[in-house]
Amino acid sequence: MEPDVSVETSAMIRIAIIPIGKIPHQTLRDYYSMFLHHHTIPLSSISSFYTEEQKSPFTNQPWETGSLRFKFVLGGEPPSPWEDFQSNRKILAVIGVFHCPLSPDLDSVIEEFDGVCKGYASARVTRCFGFFPCDSQLEDGGKKGENLRLFPPADRQTQEMHLQTMMQEIAASLLMEFEKYVFQAESAGTILKTPLDSQASLSSEEVDNFEFCKKLQVIKAKKRRLGRAQKTIGDYCLLAGSPVDANAHYSTALELARLTADYFWYAGALEGSVCALLIDQLSLKDPSLEDEVRYRYSSVILHYKKSFIPENAQRVSPLSFELEANLKLARYLCRKELAKEVVDLLTSAADGAKSLIDATDRLILYVEIARLFGTLGYQRKAAFFSRQVAQLYLQQDNKLAAISALQVLSMTTKAYRVQSRASISSNSHINEVGSSHADSGKMHHQSVVSLFESQWSTLQMVVLREILLSAVRAGDPLAAWSAAARLLRSYYPLITPAGQNGLARALANSSEMLPSGIRCSDPALPFVRLYSFPLHPSQMDIIKCNPAREDWWAGSAPSGPFIYTPFSKGEPNDSSKQDLIWIVGEPVQILVELANPCGFNLRVDSIYLSVHSGNFDPFPISLDLPPNSSKVITLSGIPTSVGPVTIPGCTVHCFGVVTEHLFRDVDNLLHGAAQGLVLSDPFRCCGSPKLKNVSVPNISVVPPLPLLVSHVVGGDGAIVLYEGEIREIHISLANAGTVPVDQAHISLSGKNQDSVLLISYETLKSNLPLKPGAEVILPVTLKAWKLGLVDLDNASGSMGRQLKDSSSPSLLIHYAGPLTDCEDPPKGSAVAPGRRLVVPLNMCVLQGLSFVKARLLSMEIPAHVGENLPKPVYLENSSKEAIDSETKMDGLVKIDPFRGSWGLRFLELELSNPTDLVFEISVSVQLDSTEDKLSAGQDATEYGYPKTRIDRDFSARVLIPLEHFKLPILDGSFFMKDFKPDGAVGSRNSSFSEKSAKAELKASINNLISRIKVRWQSGRTSSGELNIKDAIQAALKTSAMDVLLPDPLTFGFRLVRNNLSQESGDSRPKGSVLAHDMTPMEIVVRNNTKEMIRMSLNITCRDVAGENCVEGTKATVLWSGVLNGIAIDAPPLQESKHSFSLYFLVPGEYSLVAAALIEDATDLLRARAKTNSPDEPIFCRGPPFHVRVIGTA
Amino acid sequence: MIVCVAVVGHQNNPLYIQSFTEADDALKLHHIVHCSLDVVDERVNNPKKSGLTLNETFLGLLYPTENYKVYGYLTNTKVKFILVTTDLDVRDADVRNLRYGIAKFFRRFHAAYVDAVSNPFHVPGKRITSRTFAERVSNIVKSFGLSSAG
Repeated sequence: MEPDVSVETSAMIRIAIIPIGKIPHQTLRDYYSMFLHHHTIPLSSISSFYTEEQKSPFTNQPWETGSLRFKFVLGGEPPSPWEDFQSNRKILAVIGVFHCPLSPDLDSVIEEFDGVCKGYASARVTRCFGFFPCDSQLEDGGKKGENLRLFPPADRQTQEMHLQTMMQEIAASLLMEFEKYVFQAESAGTILKTPLDSQASLSSEEVDNFEFCKKLQVIKAKKRRLGRAQKTIGDYCLLAGSPVDANAHYSTALELARLTADYFWYAGALEGSVCALLIDQLSLKDPSLEDEVRYRYSSVILHYKKSFIPENAQRVSPLSFELEANLKLARYLCRKELAKEVVDLLTSAADGAKSLIDATDRLILYVEIARLFGTLGYQRKAAFFSRQVAQLYLQQDNKLAAISALQVLSMTTKAYRVQSRASISSNSHINEVGSSHADSGKMHHQSVVSLFESQWSTLQMVVLREILLSAVRAGDPLAAWSAAARLLRSYYPLITPAGQNGLARALANSSEMLPSGIRCSDPALPFVRLYSFPLHPSQMDIIKCNPAREDWWAGSAPSGPFIYTPFSKGEPNDSSKQDLIWIVGEPVQILVELANPCGFNLRVDSIYLSVHSGNFDPFPISLDLPPNSSKVITLSGIPTSVGPVTIPGCTVHCFGVVTEHLFRDVDNLLHGAAQGLVLSDPFRCCGSPKLKNVSVPNISVVPPLPLLVSHVVGGDGAIVLYEGEIREIHISLANAGTVPVDQAHISLSGKNQDSVLLISYETLKSNLPLKPGAEVILPVTLKAWKLGLVDLDNASGSMGRQLKDSSSPSLLIHYAGPLTDCEDPPKGSAVAPGRRLVVPLNMCVLQGLSFVKARLLSMEIPAHVGENLPKPVYLENSSKEAIDSETKMDGLVKIDPFRGSWGLRFLELELSNPTDLVFEISVSVQLDSTEDKLSAGQDATEYGYPKTRIDRDFSARVLIPLEHFKLPILDGSFFMKDFKPDGAVGSRNSSFSEKSAKAELKASINNLISRIKVRWQSGRTSSGELNIKDAIQAALKTSAMDVLLPDPLTFGFRLVRNNLSQESGDSRPKGSVLAHDMTPMEIVVRNNTKEMIRMSLNITCRDVAGENCVEGTKATVLWSGVLNGIAIDAPPLQESKHSFSLYFLVPGEYSLVAAALIEDATDLLRARAKTNSPDEPIFCRGPPFHVRVIGTA
Repeated sequence: MIVCVAVVGHQNNPLYIQSFTEADDALKLHHIVHCSLDVVDERVNNPKKSGLTLNETFLGLLYPTENYKVYGYLTNTKVKFILVTTDLDVRDADVRNLRYGIAKFFRRFHAAYVDAVSNPFHVPGKRITSRTFAERVSNIVKSFGLSSAG
């Protein structure tokens, strides 16, 4: 059987092209390709070389339309035993080709060529073509043999023209030779035999002795011979391009063969006639022609079948001709519309393949079937038969056959969807890489289909295994590596661990034969996927500069707690399209996840990011992946120049070969796995959790920027503070970049911003520009905030949780390099971005002293009745020295100017210490030096009291003395909310002043509170302040009225001395009263309101026996006297006096108490007295006064 | 005798392949089913030329190979059913007979397939792993053998 047969094959003149002398392979191919242009020589063009010596036997030769067809056989071929049967099988011409520069000796060339030609007995024309001869050779060539043709050195076009002429000459010579042959054949009658009939005819002619039969046989043999001769002449007519003549001879041959039952030759002649018919009718497209061809060919096939002789079936069989006829017809009909018919033909041809004796024939048959199926568009069938071809090749068990098998198998990979990535057209590959950004989200249709088809794993694995086998045999380690890699990567779940090990060994063995560093387009293991694309750590955030604004960072960086706010104007919020900026010279990191789902330990020699844009230096790392494991690794690199960066995948050096693993492939794979299209998810089966699709952002590289690095001096750990503690820390800022920092700005963000008391912004300012490598230390004063309830819960829990919580504030430092010079001011985009450094102030606030409650304590000490009224504190301007000399505690006791008695008020704070430390509390009251001259000589802030120590797990009470202060006037405004004024008119006018008065009250409370500071100290370093304002306020609230508001009336008693008694009383202690003596006294009533008060005054005097001589019935009163019913009208804000006298009988201690029944009390007074009923009498009582009565009873 | 039945998805992905022979020829049958897709594709792409009317789901004989005949059936969701049989001398009329022919077999097979993919736990496009389906298919195959023999 022959490859590439068609109906027209019968009309082709076979010409052997033989390389002579030394000729490089490529050059030979080059020359051969020149010949291929001349496979058809029109008869019209050869007439100049043709000389009709005698009358041509080809009487009907179409000189105008016909042509000779050449079939070139490079290297020639051995003579076929069937060449008598089909003349087109003969090598009818031999063309030697030699390359003159390499074969200088023309004689030896001619000698070699002659030797070659001897092997081709059937050759009727021989020529030897020499290309690129030198001048001497050209000169020589003229003299040498006539078969030598030299082509002068020229360009290709000229040479082809030369060659065309030469071929025309050859065609003409051949035509003349055919004429000679036909004459000879017609006259002489050569014996034509085929391997098929040699024995049969011999036996029939020699063994049979019967005369009649012999005669009959002889006649039959003669006719048969004649028929065969006619058939051969027909063949030559066909070769000579004269189909009409051929047809005539074939008809005769058919007739004779039919008569002599020479079926084989009958079929041959019929085949020839079909070819003649086709060539004759080449120009006209007759639909009936196809039917005719089909009909005749079925007859051809039938007769070939008939000619099958069982006796010599073992040795030789016409089957190959039958199959060839099948193929010829199939090729002729090979169109989509006739697919069914063609498939039937090919199927029957394939069925016949088993009966073929010669393995080579079977090989050729399968090749042809595969090719025809391929032309028909039946890719899978073509692949199936290609695989059969490959198996036949593999049976031959030699290297060349294995190479052929490998080539054939690699053609099938497309149909089985297991092709190597190298074979997928490279242009589409580049396109995909380029567009990987644009559509990284969706999958390519192509890849989806391939995922679906990849489920034919049974077939695919077989094909890959065969490729691996043939590649190993063919000695193509790269193909073997690639096949093993594909097998392992795609089908690892179907391969046993032993098989996986075997493949790993195959990979290793193949790589040993490969040069190191060789690349393969098919990735093996591991599977690599993008794990995450870390955005810049907050330490090196990049922000856009807004050069138009003073605060250039504003608006460019998110200020809230959200990294991406939906409110940022004009920026695409599509996170898949987010941009990433890298900086030249600053290392970046990308996390990728590797998986080794196989049962062997995988050694990755190196893996690094593969970057096609060429402006990135990746750092390779190597690692070991244990069986069935996955690992997230960090791949880093440095951008080297400005521009966009694309990272399609990783370059992996594993099993001795460098491969590129694209992220997109694995994404598709995982997507397929999710849909159940792919066998398994390699990451899932390694126990790695499902990961959402990570998109590759658009990365661009910008020129170097400054880079500030911060650390807290003394350790970057959390700053542990107790509630209210104040501490100064130092933050060191260093420029780690290559560009100086020219501008910087500090702001705060996060929670508890008010806990940062002071940032020494000036320190930073004064150090600008900060040169690369320079460092500045920034002091920051912190005050720990008060823990809320939630925080307290946290504090009781684990420390770690508390550290993590984000209640700490952060320093935001926006900084930028020098402003770009005005090289290209119109380009707004040229502004270099600034950066932002976030310095988290990791404050860990521990619970410190806790406040339990606050109480207001007050006590009164009665005043002594003296010649003068007790002097209120605010009047004491002159007695400063005296007070100074007294102890501090004494200084606390002051005369209440509105009550006239000594009063002492404390704020009692109860504090507990739940911590492990000892706290010392110091209370200080900051005195207002302008108002209170008491403190003028002392340090205002240090007006403190002895420290209180609170041990761990104890609580203590701290007393804070409260200074007296009262409002001078009892005003209605304080009670506005308590009662509604009757007249709506008046309320309007008064409301303003009432409000201001109320505000005054509030302000005075706040003033008081703010002056009290409770500081604590614990150990040597920790100190702080308790924030108890609220507590004090709460404590004061209930009694604020009593503390702050004056009584409506102030009573005071005074001894009135006449001159006499004054002189006589020199010896007496000051302020004492003698018994048995009339003591004139005076009561002073001061009206603290703005209205006239009419009252009925009572004065009671009792002896002091009990502590409380005023209230209570239990007091043992021995002596008492009452003066009542004194009517006094006290004008507003004025004092009125009433004189009276006392006469004591018994010396001792007495108390004088004044009380007044206010008549016609106003609403204001009622409110002050906290009564609601309007009928209730309003009673006002002053503090008791002490009277010491001396003398003898 | 039916040697193999297969369900092939609309993307030419195998959903179910079951052979009913004792011999170890799964690979060969896979190949046969795989190759038959060529013919199915061709018929789907040129429905007029292959004489396939729009409503006809039964594709008839796809191609004969050495020892087998391959029949096809195409649902309107482009899922293909492939049947490989060793009965080489079946007349075309018998094949298309809806009472006992191969067309009848395909109808029953289709019903079984529809029931299998109606399972809410079945993911469309995934291989059919239902045991019920496998049992039902083998029953259909067995009963077809009986009816065609009788």
